[in-house]
This record gives sequence, structure tokens and C-alpha cells, in this order.
Amino acid sequence: MLDSIITPDLFAAAIRIATPLALAAIGGTICERSGVVNIALEGIMLTGAFFGTAVVLATGEPWLGVIAAVLAGVSISAVHAFASINLRSDQTVSGTAINLLALGVTGFLMKLWYGHPGTTDQIKTLGSVFTFDAPGGGVLAEVWRWVNAILFTHSPIVYLAIIIAIVAQWAVFKTRWGLRLRALGEHPRAVDTVGVNVARGRWVAVLMSGALAGLAGANLTIEQVGSFTENMTNGRGFIALAANIFGRWTPVGSYLASLLFGFADALQIKLQILRGVVNVPPQVFQALPYVLTVIVVAGVVGRAVAPAASGVPYRKD
Amino acid sequence: MSEPREDAVVQRRWMTILQKTGTPVISALLAIAVGSIIIWASGYDPLAAFAALFKGSFGSPKAVGDTLLKSTPLILTGLAVAYGFRAGLFNIGAEGQLFMGGLAATALGLALGGASWWVSVPLMLLAAMLAGAAWAFIPALLKARIGAHEVITTMMFTYIGRYFVGYLVNGPMKEPGNIPQTPALDPAAQLPRIATLFSEAAREAVPILNLGRAHMGILVALIAAVVIWLILKYTTLGFENRAVGFNRWASETAGISVQWTTVKALCISGVLAGLAGATEVMGVHHRLFDQFSSGFGFTGIAVALLAKNHPLGVIPAALLFGALSAGATTMQFEAKVPQDIIQIIQALVIFFVAAEEIVLWFVRRRQKEAISHAG
Repeated sequence: MLDSIITPDLFAAAIRIATPLALAAIGGTICERSGVVNIALEGIMLTGAFFGTAVVLATGEPWLGVIAAVLAGVSISAVHAFASINLRSDQTVSGTAINLLALGVTGFLMKLWYGHPGTTDQIKTLGSVFTFDAPGGGVLAEVWRWVNAILFTHSPIVYLAIIIAIVAQWAVFKTRWGLRLRALGEHPRAVDTVGVNVARGRWVAVLMSGALAGLAGANLTIEQVGSFTENMTNGRGFIALAANIFGRWTPVGSYLASLLFGFADALQIKLQILRGVVNVPPQVFQALPYVLTVIVVAGVVGRAVAPAASGVPYRKD
Repeated sequence: MSEPREDAVVQRRWMTILQKTGTPVISALLAIAVGSIIIWASGYDPLAAFAALFKGSFGSPKAVGDTLLKSTPLILTGLAVAYGFRAGLFNIGAEGQLFMGGLAATALGLALGGASWWVSVPLMLLAAMLAGAAWAFIPALLKARIGAHEVITTMMFTYIGRYFVGYLVNGPMKEPGNIPQTPALDPAAQLPRIATLFSEAAREAVPILNLGRAHMGILVALIAAVVIWLILKYTTLGFENRAVGFNRWASETAGISVQWTTVKALCISGVLAGLAGATEVMGVHHRLFDQFSSGFGFTGIAVALLAKNHPLGVIPAALLFGALSAGATTMQFEAKVPQDIIQIIQALVIFFVAAEEIVLWFVRRRQKEAISHAG
């Protein structure tokens, strides 16, 4: 039975499922490093997913959809930035407002534009970047089959997410910009004193997290599902926040933590298919990623420390 | 002799009241205004939309009944979120506790079978309260002991709770047949409709008594609001709750156990959300199925914020949102505006209350005018 569970496509699925989580989690990392908590990842992702789909439906061009998703993510995160940086709202509350707003706006436009609730028509999706053959037999061919399935069967944003994780890690920890970003989240007063604009630095970080969460939405609809369904993010934004914590507020850490969640989800999907063999109700498997999130948050929080000024509005006076 | 002074005191008191109620009222008005612009920009007539909405929420005794029906769980979830906020905790997962409350009430109600109402109703409400508290207990403990963020944990528990209820109504608790739902509760295990309490003659004489589907759960909700108000105002429990919400370090120094207060606050929050689940099951659906709540736990966040976390303020705030959601169907049917606009307005209310500085600007201007008039 293990043979039919532990297959190359299980790992490939794990990487695929991890991608939207990782993108949003890296967004959350950058945002929190600057001192702004982003509970709104869920809603931003949903907004990106919707507008990405809408543009592909209108133009038939998946890449235009990806761009639209990113722009939509940036736009709605600007609301969060304005509320939490300029108006000094409670960031968690502002984020919650955006999550509800995203649900309302996407549901409203769904009915306005397509005349029905639920799910949109299928769209043209982005497929695998590479298509390699798996020639011959023998051990080498078997190894190649695994390598090919895990590394070379993915769509563009999946690879993009890996590149983003590495570049973001470098940018946050090895560049001047990164040093300032981290200082903003630890001691904004000090950053202000040396003449850096705290509000602008935080704005940039929040908009970047919006772009990344929007891209996550694009991956969800334009690469994975091929249509938009109301409330399709289904808690992924919150799981991404947990991945960010588990990854200890680092981009690569966020990516690896997302891989863990991706693997758990891929495994539960696999097990559901084998339900005839292991007689467990499907809801038990569906609840698994959420249970895992609680365990991870509970297990790691005591030892990981959030940026000191995260969630605290900065008042310049 | 001291008249001018008393005048000033009275005036200052009015100022405080204006400031306290002014922000929420202006927030709600701003949200409705922005909602109207969205309706207009989408090619519909905002006036027709709100006329239909009003008709559906206050246009007839039955419509008023619908507003009360929708407000009932919102008062309770609003109280749940507000009580948590007063301790500095954000119980975003009231929805999950509501699900568990509904589940516990149904399970006990079905087990009790045909017991008299004065046995089953109180016991079912109690079971729902305990279940709600239990569902909040693990996130509470994790928050108190190791600081795990309650926004993530209570949210995750909401998903887990929903899947749990989904499993039960598709499996062990499913009634025979194809629909994933439990059998109906015995009439003695239901909360009766308000209209049925009055005789036919009385209802004919006073038509407003024909409150349609509104049920006695509203009484449960109102009592809960008063009890929470009394707790916050007059008891040590409530004082500690407020103190920890105000300044946890000072509270710790003053000898209040912040950890224990955190656990109590989230559990009491869970009790209230659980009650909301019970009134929905016992008063509205009379059985359990997996979509029995239309996001009351989340709307409760908007209710609490609009009420500025005041237990009595929760009542008008819940009535507003109850009216919006009761009228939404009529609005969609008559003015063709998708009812999701209501959710947009809710989100905007939260946003405007949170972004108090925009609103305070209006209030301060009014105050300046008032002062210059008075002077």
C-alpha cells in the first residue's frame, strides 16, 4: 500500500500545493519585518485569484491574468497600508475588514459580471514549463522518473516562488534595504532618527506583500484550479501566516514551512483516494492541515520571536 | 450660583456621549454611503435598493420578525467578540465555537427525546455554553501558556469544528435519507416563536405581534447582554478582564494573573458564541446541518467593533446588521442588487470604526461647532 502512497507525484503535489502558501507567507514575512501585521493575506489572495480569473476570461491571456492578480493584490493591500500606517488603525482589525471586503467584493462582482454565484467558467491555464520524456528502463530511468516528476513538471509561478524565496532571503538579510526593513520592525524610532521615512518603508513592505499574495491567488486559479470559486482560498492566508511564524520570519524558512503544509495536504488528498483501504471519513483528512497549523503555531511560538514593533503603529512626534 | 459650572459638566457629559456614539453612527453612515456609491456605480438605483432593503427588514411585522431573527445570534456573537476584545484578545473564531454550541445543543436535544421543555431547553443551552467554552479552551490555553496567536488558532479551530460537524451530519448523526442533516428536534426541545405565545385574538388586535419567524432566542440574547454588562461593570471577574485588556503589564504587577484572565476571557467568549449556535438550532432550523450558520461568528466582529465593545451597545449594532441581512434577500429580489453588497457594507463598517481618525475628524468638527454655539 505504501507504494501507492509514496510516489513521485506525491512530492510534486506537495511543491505545487506549497506554492500559494509560500508566496503569501513570504509576503507576510516582509510585511511583519517592517512592523505591520498582515492578517489580510487571505483576502488579498482571494482578490488576486478573482481578478486574475476575470482578466483571463476577458482576454484569454493567462499572463495578463497573472499581472492583473498582482495589481489587484497591490491595490487592496494599499487599503491595509493606508489604514494601518497613516490612520494607525488596529492592524488585526483592519486586516479582518479586508478579508470580509474581499469576500464581499468578489461575490458581488461574480454575480454582477457572470450573473451567478459559485464558480466561474474554466479558463486557459499556464501549464508545465518543461516537457521531458522519460526514456528507457532500469534503475537510471527510475531515478529520472522521480527527478523529472518532482523538479520538472511544474508551471511557471511554482519556479518563480522558489526564486522569490531565495532572492527575498538575500534582500532581507544582505542588503541595505533589508537592514532598514528589519530595523523598521524592531525599532522604528531609531530608523526615524537617522532620517529614514518610516511610513514610506512600511508602505513598500505592505505593497510587496500584496503583490506576493496576489501572485499566490494567480497560482491558485490560473495554474492549479483553472476557475474561480467564491471563498476558494479557504483559510490558506491564515495557514501562510502560521508558515511565516514557523519559518521564523525568514523567506526561505517560510518556503520550507509551506512545503511541510503542502506535503501534509498532498498526503491527505492521496489518503482520501485510498479511502476504500483505510476506512476513515474524508473530513478527518480535510481537517488535517488545520490541526497541523495549530500544532506548529503552538510548538514553535515559544521559541521564535516576532519583530519587536510588529503590529504597533508608529506615531512620529 | 454654581449654575454655569453645572452647565459645563452637563455639556461635557453630552460631549462624551456624542463622542462614544458619534463615531459608530458616523461609521455606519459612511459605510452605507460608500455602499450606495458601489450600488450606483454598478448600474443599480441605490434608493430603490435601500427602499427594498427597508421593506424587507421593517416593512411589516413579519419583516420586523426577520430582523429580530437575524439579530439574535448577532447579539450573542457580538458579545462574544466584544468580551474578548475587552481583555485585549481577538476571538476571530467565534464561528467555530458557534458550530460546537449548535452541535452540543442538538446532540443533547436528540438524546433527551420528548422530555418537557423546562428540562430540555435549559440543559441544551447549558450544553451549548460548555461546548463553546471547550472549543475556545485550547486556543486560550495556548495563548496564555506560550503566547500562540489566538487569531490563527481560533481560526483553525473554526475550520476543524466545521469539518467535525460536517462529518457528524454526514455520518453518525445523519437522519435516514439522502440529506446530510440530523433528525428534527422534539417541539419541547425548541425555542418557540414569539408569535405563538399570543392568542389568535391578541394577534389580530395588535398586528405587530405577528412577528413571523422571530423566536424566544432574542430573550436569551438580551439577558446575556445585560449579564455581560453587569459582569464587566460590577464584578472582579469583569474588572480583571478590563484591566488586562487595558494594560497587561500593570495588571500583572498589581497581582492579577494575566494567564488565568486570558483563559477565562476566551472561554466566556466561547460560552456566548456557543449560545448563538444553540439559539440558531433550537429557534430557527430545529436540526443541525453543516451550513446552519451564515457567518454569524464573523459578522459578530463587525457588531462588536461598531458597539465599541460595549455589551449594551452590541444590541443596536446587532439590530443594524440583522436588519441589513434580513432585508438583503428582498433587495436582491426586487432591486436585483447582489446581496453580497451587505458583506461589503459590513467590511466597510469595520474599516471605518478601526480607522477612527477619519471619523473623529467629523466628530471634532461637530464639537467645535457645538462649543462655538454654546460659547
